[in-house]
Amino acid sequence: MAATLLTGNVAAAWGARLARVDYIPAFPITPQTEIIETLGGWLDGGDMEGRMVTLESEHSMLTAAGAAAATGVRVFSATSSQGLLHAMEMIYTVAGWRAPFVLVNVSRGLSAPITLEADHNDVLAARDSGFLQIHCADCQEVVDGILMAYRLAEDPTVRLPVMVNLDGFYLSFTREPVNLPDPAAASEFLPPFDPGMIRFAASAPASQAVAVLGGSPYSYFRYETHLAAQRAVTVYSGIAAEFRARFGRDRGVVEAYRCDDAEVVFYMIGSFATKAREAVDRLRDAGHRVGLLRPRLLRPYPADIIADALQGVQGVAVIDQNLSMGQGGVLHTELCAALYGRPQAPVVLASFIGGLGGREIAPEEFYQMAAVTREAVATGRTPPPRLLYTEDELREIRKLQSIALVERDETSPIRERQQHTGGRDEA
Amino acid sequence: MYRIRIHGRGGQGIKMASRVLGTALFRSGFTVQDAPKYGAERRGAPIFSTVRAAREAAEGATIKERGVIHRPDLVVIADDTLLAVPAAGTLQGITAATVVLVNSRETAATWRHRLNLAATLLILPATEEARDRAELPHIGATCAGAAACLLGVIEPAALQAAIEEELAPLGKEVVATNSDSALAAFDAMAAHRGLVTEGTAVSATDYIPPSWVELPVDDASVAAPDIRAIANSVQVRTGLWRTLRPVIDYDLCGKCWWVCSSLCPDSAIAVEQDIPVIDYDHCKGCMICVGVCPPHAIGSVPEYLAQQQEQQAKSPGEHDGRDPADR
Amino acid sequence: MSDIIRRMKDLPSTHLLGTGTPMCSGCGALEALHQIYDVLGEKTVFVNAAGCMTLLSAYPFTPFRGSWLYTAMASAPAGAQGVRDALDILLQQGRLPSADDLQVVVLTGDGSAYGMGMSATSGALDRDLDFIYICYDNEGYGNTGQQYSSATPHGAATATSRGSRGYPGYKKDLFSIWAAHRPSYVATVIGSEPLDLAKKIEKARDMKGPRMIIALSPCPTGWDYDPRDSVEIGKLAVKTGVWPLKEYVNGQVVHTRIPRERPPVQDYLRRQGRFSHLFQAGQEPSLVDDIQQRVDDYWKEVV
Repeated sequence: MAATLLTGNVAAAWGARLARVDYIPAFPITPQTEIIETLGGWLDGGDMEGRMVTLESEHSMLTAAGAAAATGVRVFSATSSQGLLHAMEMIYTVAGWRAPFVLVNVSRGLSAPITLEADHNDVLAARDSGFLQIHCADCQEVVDGILMAYRLAEDPTVRLPVMVNLDGFYLSFTREPVNLPDPAAASEFLPPFDPGMIRFAASAPASQAVAVLGGSPYSYFRYETHLAAQRAVTVYSGIAAEFRARFGRDRGVVEAYRCDDAEVVFYMIGSFATKAREAVDRLRDAGHRVGLLRPRLLRPYPADIIADALQGVQGVAVIDQNLSMGQGGVLHTELCAALYGRPQAPVVLASFIGGLGGREIAPEEFYQMAAVTREAVATGRTPPPRLLYTEDELREIRKLQSIALVERDETSPIRERQQHTGGRDEA
Repeated sequence: MYRIRIHGRGGQGIKMASRVLGTALFRSGFTVQDAPKYGAERRGAPIFSTVRAAREAAEGATIKERGVIHRPDLVVIADDTLLAVPAAGTLQGITAATVVLVNSRETAATWRHRLNLAATLLILPATEEARDRAELPHIGATCAGAAACLLGVIEPAALQAAIEEELAPLGKEVVATNSDSALAAFDAMAAHRGLVTEGTAVSATDYIPPSWVELPVDDASVAAPDIRAIANSVQVRTGLWRTLRPVIDYDLCGKCWWVCSSLCPDSAIAVEQDIPVIDYDHCKGCMICVGVCPPHAIGSVPEYLAQQQEQQAKSPGEHDGRDPADR
Repeated sequence: MSDIIRRMKDLPSTHLLGTGTPMCSGCGALEALHQIYDVLGEKTVFVNAAGCMTLLSAYPFTPFRGSWLYTAMASAPAGAQGVRDALDILLQQGRLPSADDLQVVVLTGDGSAYGMGMSATSGALDRDLDFIYICYDNEGYGNTGQQYSSATPHGAATATSRGSRGYPGYKKDLFSIWAAHRPSYVATVIGSEPLDLAKKIEKARDMKGPRMIIALSPCPTGWDYDPRDSVEIGKLAVKTGVWPLKEYVNGQVVHTRIPRERPPVQDYLRRQGRFSHLFQAGQEPSLVDDIQQRVDDYWKEVV
């Protein structure tokens, strides 16, 4: 099929449509809302089968999603930011149910201060839940990722919910050429959901998601979830190979862009990685051996595959579009943990925090991050973590503070009014 | 790669303009990325949208750059009143290589004189006497049509097909009128066809390094998102959203201030000695007061006319900004 | 405070809420809020849940002369509980002079009030929290582009009910749900009736315990009409009987305005794009009849 221009949100809706989902519990939140509006329009117009219901909150939405999945239908849902956090109790809970379904998260920075634009603290807050995570860099990956996510979630050896993440604004509202898989090819790749034992039926009584008493059974069930998640690396690799054979697009566990002979590598997730690709090309033009490594699959964490890809690399510039308060970048922390003690690991893992709340990362900043990392490799000294923040930005915030924090200096109109009315209020 | 920014107001079809232009470029063999830039949508407030387009051979299937365009090759300004709104950022990043197209009733010479830009400035003549600028007819399509011609890489047929594709859900009539507007604008720019040139990426050899700073550890009394000023939102000039202006005829005013002053959502009608006074710095031009005024003492005037009249009242003898040669 | 508002001329002529807010031109919710604020005054702390009004205080600007706390969509009443309790503790300990006490005011849209926040609201009512709750009800999730909420009226087109029959559900009777908790006060208001609004807010201001206000908020953006029509549409909502103005005090529901001669509801519906499909050729009249019937049934009970 020829490519069409689609926003990331419409691409996500297409993913659900091509996956022939049965049930869509919904709740609006910017910048995700266009996904459910698009699906709602298709359902109203008879373009797709299925049922959508708007719940009164994301907590209820996730509860309905997990419950429907546990009853044996193919479920799709979508949220963002505060919505994901509001649902967080149920995010952990339904993963523990081992109920397979797909949740799209459109990344947006977290409150406070409340904001609309993208960073990854929302999705990373769910990293320990049992949900698997696929991270997209462009709109094509959103469609592809959703189809693959159903395969992964519904695989009998995995049976976990999967989150597909795309960045708010930079993907959600941005149109790019997308090749929509042919519906027939999509349904060959993703056959109808076979829930097997996952169901409620009068003829097959089951008590799901029951309580445990004591740490021993608790440990067993929790660790089994972890083992299933770990198994998903291999399962995902198999699905990606099949996807490539069928659709011709590489959707491997990691994207390694011009990493082969690279001395310095950018390491990051999400849509800003395409900016890094551009920077890699320009830096290569300038004679620097630079590459980009981007995990698509972040849960389970593909430590061995990442370590292999970084073999021979001298320095890594880790760009975290998130912030663990009092610790730093989550990707940096996890990469350090994954590489510790491995022979031939890069000597420098430099930490950069950038793109919080949708703040741009300029081409010059990529060039400079590469330069700083190169310099660190040469001196053998890892630089301290660096927030991408310029003098101009600091000046601008000082200006805003001078507006916000000005002392109360005017007379209250109430007092004026009271004087005007002859102190009527004093009674 | 072409980098295009289109500025307008919420409700003027600015997102539609970028989509039409994006689709037309896509149909002309380019790989495209287009996006509107807005927060919570507010009618009348400044917004903009972006289009990037590259020859696929050069870029691959998707464009790697993302986000705001800092160095535009073409800037389209759908509403010339935005040039006076600093927050709209219409002229940000403009260089000598940029083409700036302004939809205006005034002449290129006037704007060149006022703005003193290094860029090439062209006028898209605003022909229709729109009552309300937020409802400028087909301005999105008009901008897309003019831009298509200036790029020089889009044939009228591709433009027309793009309008059909983007506006089909709105019905044949809408498609036809927008198509006419776009093609007329395309023709109007014929003398400048292909004027816009493709810009280049920022070089990695010769660049100005970012001036990164260490954030100081500020006291929480400063570093929390708190506002201790009171009612300082009055510093925000929402009067710039206005496309229609309510005007009180004090000869007719019945001094029943409690009607207009209570019903104005924005607290923008003050009462001074029992006489209502409209605060034009903040009036958003909703026109509720016009409708509720019992003696019909409040009329409505298009904002641009009101501003012209003000200008003339201030300097009656002076040059009115128009260049006679361009008329 | 005790300036009694009896007639239009008693309405405040100085407005406390700052201009320059990012609310839409012609916003019916802002119209109500600025009137409410004039009566409640600056010794207030507004505890807000996610919605259009969240953008009122966006760094570094605020229109408020008093205080403001943004919480989250589900839990503004719980935030109010925390603020009220803390103020009481400080008052009791003598760390806060009584002159520095604040009226705690929850401000949410219908999405929160009718839906996600209802549990937290019910809890606050159970605990007899001393607060005022202002719900600006624009009958949908307006800040995300007007998807249907459980405050959406029957038949209205929203971004998630675009079929030929609009929203299939019926607007939830939040007034009765709140009144069933037996709080101190419940009232419906609308910005297009400033005198009725001011009297009720003044009454609520001078009471203790939970005082609950629902302000129907005509919304040019979400209801699809010209901003200048906000007041007229609001007045029609009252005249046609679609939005009954009433209050609950001492266990009794009293209507503060009984429209004796009600124009047909279509006078109200036709003015709004969200109902335009009800009047298109080929649409069976049953939907409008159904809406009229429900309004008639309501008023049959009242008078």
